[in-house]
Parts: sequence; structure tokens; C-alpha cells
Amino acid sequence: MEHVELFFKSIFIDNMVFATFLGMCSYLAVSKKVSTAVGLGAAVIFVLAVTVPLNWLLDQYILKEGALVWLGPEYAEYDLSFLSFIMFIATIATMVQLVEIIVEKFSPSLYNSLGIFLPLIAVNCAILGGSLFMQSREIATLGLALNYGIGSGIGWFLAILAIAAIREKIRYSNVPPALRGLGITFIVTGLMAIGFMSFGGMLTGGDDAKKEDKKEVVTTEPKKDEVKKELQEANTELSRSEEDKKEIAENTKEIE
Amino acid sequence: MGLLSKKDAKLITDPFADNNPITIQVLGICSALAITAELKASIVMSISVLFVLGLGNVVISLMRNIIPSKIRIIVQLIVVATLVIIVDLVLKAFAYELSKTLSVFVGLIITNCIIMGRFEAFALGNGPWRSFLDGVGNALGYAAILIIVGFFRELLGSGTLLGFKVLGDPIEKTGVYAIGYENNGFMLLSPMALIVVGIIIWVQRSRNKALIEEH
Amino acid sequence: MSKRTDSNLYTVLFAVGMVLVVGALLAFLASFLAPNIDENKRIEKQQNILYAMGVNENDESSAIFVSTAVAEQEFQKYIKKQLVIEGGKVTEDEKAYLIDVKKEKSKAKNGGVRRLPLFVGEKDGKTFYVAPIRGKGLWDAIWGYVAMDENMVVQGAYFDHKGETPGLGANIKQRFFMDDFTGEHLLDDTGNFKGIRVAKGNNDPKNEEKTDYEVDAIAGATITGDGVSAMIKSDLKLYVPYFKTLKTN
Repeated sequence: MEHVELFFKSIFIDNMVFATFLGMCSYLAVSKKVSTAVGLGAAVIFVLAVTVPLNWLLDQYILKEGALVWLGPEYAEYDLSFLSFIMFIATIATMVQLVEIIVEKFSPSLYNSLGIFLPLIAVNCAILGGSLFMQSREIATLGLALNYGIGSGIGWFLAILAIAAIREKIRYSNVPPALRGLGITFIVTGLMAIGFMSFGGMLTGGDDAKKEDKKEVVTTEPKKDEVKKELQEANTELSRSEEDKKEIAENTKEIE
Repeated sequence: MGLLSKKDAKLITDPFADNNPITIQVLGICSALAITAELKASIVMSISVLFVLGLGNVVISLMRNIIPSKIRIIVQLIVVATLVIIVDLVLKAFAYELSKTLSVFVGLIITNCIIMGRFEAFALGNGPWRSFLDGVGNALGYAAILIIVGFFRELLGSGTLLGFKVLGDPIEKTGVYAIGYENNGFMLLSPMALIVVGIIIWVQRSRNKALIEEH
Repeated sequence: MSKRTDSNLYTVLFAVGMVLVVGALLAFLASFLAPNIDENKRIEKQQNILYAMGVNENDESSAIFVSTAVAEQEFQKYIKKQLVIEGGKVTEDEKAYLIDVKKEKSKAKNGGVRRLPLFVGEKDGKTFYVAPIRGKGLWDAIWGYVAMDENMVVQGAYFDHKGETPGLGANIKQRFFMDDFTGEHLLDDTGNFKGIRVAKGNNDPKNEEKTDYEVDAIAGATITGDGVSAMIKSDLKLYVPYFKTLKTN
């Protein structure tokens, strides 16, 4: 259950692109065609799925305060967390370089179309963001870390796939010349992000906030009267709107 | 501009308009979204990037002939990260207050693609002085966009500039609030930064037709 | 690129060399600067605690601490007792303010007993009980200190964060937000713990109602606000038994 929740949370609610706005540069620049977008998206899923668990291990057994205790009790006091940035980045950069070499060998056309952005996966903030979130949210097990990596990757993949599809279609629309390409992409992304915000309330706070509200209405006596008043007012408004309806009905009759 | 040759001067002025890192090269967007809800944060971030990009470009340019091409990305990243961490540690030890204001930006600077992008595209192939100018130029171009976006988001979103209530007090209903003006809280949300940048691109490309993309 | 830099041997040597240089440099710097950094952090904790109980040099809008030079002195002057609550036991400990809340939290998670620091301060004849809290915001950790009177009515609060969004979540450490908490009640009439919720649209932007268990949220910072509500709820709740014993005595 924990796994399922984390998985969907990292895809939709904490979507890397729309909720935290990470990985925007490559997202905007490499979303002209669906095929390239799929390539980059797959690369991001892969890199995230590998680096998050790897960095989890690093964090647990080397960087965290007291993590070195497996070397012997005298190492319990060491705190290497100031190195976490650089260690995470080194892991990521190594992995990215690996992906670059593999892609260059097996799919030169993809390599060419990704251009400068393949090396830039390394600074794709979504990737480092994944590892840092993993650290700050104290993800508990290696399995969950892998899950989180894959989930965030898929979230990013979906986002870039969606925008690439929109950009392919938008070509047939009459966009003001100066907005064509990058401009309209920014604006569409903004609108998509606003849409994605509606996922935000799904797991955070929704439930227990409501319960508290209910309690307050019950416990505070004077509020009951207020509620009644409000209800009455609402009722009169309703009847008013019924009158409106009648008027409308009459008007339509006349027209007929 | 007696100091700079024409070609060098172009390195500084180009990123302002025709080759702006954000609106043309599409670099450094994440940070532009994250921190522009407030003008002050935009300015602080701009200065930090100016510092790191200028210095980083010089360092990478000096090392350009000894960096093995196979691991150049790692080397570049480690150079930036080390620079930033050193500055962070020193500030923490000797200027704690300042370091607290900057701590938020440390992660953002390391992963700012603008820095890596310029390393890759310029510093690896050019001498230190030209690289330095390129770094400064791009950082300034970046700063220009950040400050414009920050200005509008803070003004329209919270009715303040640099924390000063320029439009009056929304709770006491003074200034423009007295005649029924309301802050647009929406401007504070990150999606609006995207839309503001989109509008900047629109304005920029309407003025300079050469930049218009086919599609 | 010259050919020399493309060979595998060179690449490996370069990588090893760089790791050594960078590692040594950072390790040296970190250990060299550690005493300074620790001292700064220690003073900051004292300043934070004093701030929560109203010992500060605030101007109209920004939060300003007592200066670092006098922090130690002021801390000794205003903080009368430092308590550590462990299980049901209460002990005095002069180093209680150095207790790492993060560590204690993870200890409790692993089944250990959490040590709860509580600072008893006195200012202008009034007694303050200051408790640290810690939780998670949007990006990273958030934490704070809440000063209460013996009925758990908030007398002052200080919040801080590691990396919340500037202009949005980061505003939890602005006075307009922190000051809202002053006077809010944490317990209901029957003494049950209610907490304080950071709520959107609570129709009370001037925060005049003090017993609604709500303060006005910051627009655009929902997750950080929820984090503040959550840490108040989870951490301050633990102090309720202690405050009950205060009353019976």
C-alpha cells in the first residue's frame, strides 16, 4: 500500500515538472517532436531509477550522521552530509555519461537530436531534485527509493510527452508569429501546470481538515444560528432563481 | 568601451537581447520559476549566478586543455559544486547571517543549466578572458529576465516591491486598495512565472522579427 | 582536444587526481571551519529561543535577533531553567538547548524514548515555556520555537526553514506570519489539545479571533503552511502532559 501511494503521489501530485517545476530547461527545449521527447523521457526515467537508489545507499551508509557506524563504533560520530551535494552529483554525472555513451553507440540519430541536452540531463534539476527529495523526505527503504525514482521519472515522461503532443498539433493552429515555438510553449506549460495543481489537494491535508471543520460547527453553539440564517438566505436566492426561470420560460414562449 | 574590442563587447551585449539565455537558449528556467515571486530573491540569485558563472567559466577555460573529454561533464559539475560549497562553508563560518539568506540558492545554482550550458558551449573552447566576459554577459542577460519577472510578480501578486508596500495596505484598505483593487494571488504561483516569461518572449520577438521561429 | 587527453589511462588518472584534490580540499575546509560553524549554530539557537519569548530587537516589519555578541549573556539572564522531559521524568540540563530535535525524532521513530527540551524563561515577571518543533515543508526541513504560557496559549513564535521558496514558503520567517500566532490558544476549554491550523480563507486576515485555532495562511504556500500546522500538532502535543502537571501542582 505504501508503495502504491508513493508511486502515484510521485507521478501526479508531486509531478516533477508541474508541481515542483524541476527539469524545465530540457522539458521546454526538447519537446518539439514526440519521438525525441519519448527518447529523452525514457533516458530520464532510467537515470532517475538508477541514481535515486544509488544515492539512497550512499546517504544511508556513508553520508548521514552516524552512517559510518558499520565501519566500527568509533566512526559513529562522523557526519559527512556536507558532501551530499557533490556525491549525488558525481553519481548522477557518471550515470549520465554512461547513458550518453550507450545512446551514441546504439542510436546515433537520437544522439544527434538530443544534442546539447543529453549532457544537460546531468544538470536536469529533476534528477538531482529526485535525490535531494529522497534525502529530505527521509524515504525509508531501498525499495521505496527505487519506487520513488521510477515514479518521478514516469511523471516527467508523461509531462514531456503531453507537451510534445500539444506542440505537434499546435503547428496547425494560427499562433501569433512572435509567440510561435518557445513562447506558446511557455504559456501552454503554465496552463497545464495550473491544471495539475488540482491534484495537489488529493493526499495532503484534505481529510483531516474537513473533520476538524465539522467538529467546530457542532461544538460552537452560536454558529448554528448563523448557519440557519445562511440557509434561509440561500433558499430565498433559490426561489429568486426560480422566478428567473419562469421569466425565461415566458420569454421563450413569446419568441416561439 | 576602450578596454574591450568590438568582438569582446558583443560577448557582453549579445545575451541581453538576441541570445538571451532564458528566452532564446532556454537555459536556467527552473530557477527563474522558483525564486521570482519576490524581487529581492531575484536580485540575490542574479548576483550569485554572476559570481559563479564568471568564476566558473574562467576555471573551466583554464582547465580546458587538461580535461579528458570522456568525463568532462563530471569535471564541470564538480568544479561548480566545489566552488559553491566552498563559498557556502566560508560564509557559514564567517558571515552566518548572509549564508542563511543564500542557503536556499546553493542547490539551485549547482543545478542551474545556464552554468553547465555555458561551460559546454563556450568555456571549453575559448580563453579565460573571453570566457569571463561570456559568463558575465550571460549572467546579466539572465538577471535582466529574472528581475523583470520578479518585478511584475511581486507588484501584482503581493502589491509590494522589495518588501515596500507601494500600492498601499491590503488589510487596512489604503492606497489603491481603497478603490477596490485586490492583489492577484495567482501571480505568486509558479505557473504564472511561465506565462510572464511567455509574454516577455512575445514582446521580444515582436520587436525583433529575426528571432521568430518557423514553428 | 589533443590526443593525450583521450586515452583511458589519462582519464582514470585525472579522475583519481581530481577526487583526491577536491575531497581533500573540502574535508580540510569543513573540519577547519567546523568549530566556527558550530559556534554560529549554537548562538543562533539561543537567539531563536530568545526571539520566541519576545527578547529581540524587532523593528516595524523585519525580525531582528539580539546581537550575537550579547546572545549568550541574554540567554543566561532570561532563561531560568532548561528542562528535559524524557518519558514521564523531568530533569534539568544546562545543555538542553543543544539537543538535536531531528535526531530525537528519528530515535522515537525507531522505538526509542524521545527527549523533549523545554526552556523556562522569565521576562517582566511573566513566565514563558519555549519548546522547539520541527517538520517538513515543500522542499526541505522547517523548524521553529514556540513560547507558551502555562495554559499553552502562544506568547510568541519563531519559524525557520532550510530551503522554502523565496517570497512564498520562505515567508514563514517573516514577522507578519509569526506574529499571527501570538495569543492563539493550543488547548480547548476542556484542556484537549487542538493545535493551530494554518488555514486559507479563514475570514480573519487581521487575526482578531484568538480561539479559532487558525491563523491566516500565506497565499501560494499551501504545502509549507500545512507543514507548519503539522509540526505544531505533532510536536507540541507531546508537551501537554507536562503542562497538565504544572496545573495540578
